[in-house]
Amino acid sequence: MVKLRVLFENGSPERVIEFDRAKVPLQHDGKPGSFLDVLLGNGIHLEHACGGSCACTTCHVIVKQGFEQLSEAEENELDLLDKAPGLTMTSRLGCQAVIEKDGEYTVVVPKFTINQG
Amino acid sequence: MATRVHQVRILQVDEIAPATRVFRLERPPDFSFTPGQFVSCLLDVDGETLTKPYTITSDPETSGHLDICLNRVDGGRGSTRLFDMGAGASLNVTGPWGTFTMVTAPARECVFIGIDTGIAAIRPLLHRALAAPAAPVVLWQRAESPPHLLFRTELEALALRHPTFDYHAMTDTPLLETIDQRYVHADERRDREFFICGVGEIVAKLRDRLRAAGYERRAVHYERW
Repeated sequence: MVKLRVLFENGSPERVIEFDRAKVPLQHDGKPGSFLDVLLGNGIHLEHACGGSCACTTCHVIVKQGFEQLSEAEENELDLLDKAPGLTMTSRLGCQAVIEKDGEYTVVVPKFTINQG
Repeated sequence: MATRVHQVRILQVDEIAPATRVFRLERPPDFSFTPGQFVSCLLDVDGETLTKPYTITSDPETSGHLDICLNRVDGGRGSTRLFDMGAGASLNVTGPWGTFTMVTAPARECVFIGIDTGIAAIRPLLHRALAAPAAPVVLWQRAESPPHLLFRTELEALALRHPTFDYHAMTDTPLLETIDQRYVHADERRDREFFICGVGEIVAKLRDRLRAAGYERRAVHYERW
């Protein structure tokens, strides 16, 4: 099982999700088992202007716990992250970062995405 | 910040190639964008809201409307839904979004590569580059067949009008090998800037080839659909 804690910089109350990785995808946008997939599948909004196809940065999340247990970022994701406002060493695109192991994870959804500054 | 949703009318629909249409949308007031950006269409399909991005293929300077260009994808729920819509229908969109953009024409030689409907994203970038060309501009357009060379007449006219613009349209020629020959093996120059847009793995292959050949990472811009 995975326990995912989601924090929001915009002040929305934090959410905690527990789910079984064997049941992904939970919906149709982003890579199966990605943060985007899991959040949307649990009724939590995460912006994804490109539909979760790795063509924008609006699903940028900052991983506070579990970073090493995610799928490795591909070049396309890294190139896009370069343009994300508020980039950190543990930034990922929610549509691309797949939770590959059971355990505990924490992500922060930044207040601003590009074009929303 | 909540994302603003614009409800816009479809003003006109033109089939510009087999299974490829340009949808002319009403432009919301105060909607500004940079060439290369896209809008996200929120499409209700089977009780779900799909988020589908489509590049704005018209120029920011064009007042009153936004054009998006797309082809019907077999089994694609978004394109199928849009193809069922005609002039007069309303559509919810958000945006503009995206970072595959050009604010001003690059000072160095600018090479555009538009593959299939990827030319729709290249088109406004090309217009921006040619508005005040600071260096030679080249476009390589690749499509599966001559009818799918979108905007070809317009592009040929641009090439006639701008002596510094070189336009190549191709259907049978292998694109990767052509780019490799022209920009990797033909000379030692690595001061060009590339803008690549298209569908599938060819985009990543072109990116990797050019970067591996010594072009700056940030001089190879791309958008893969």
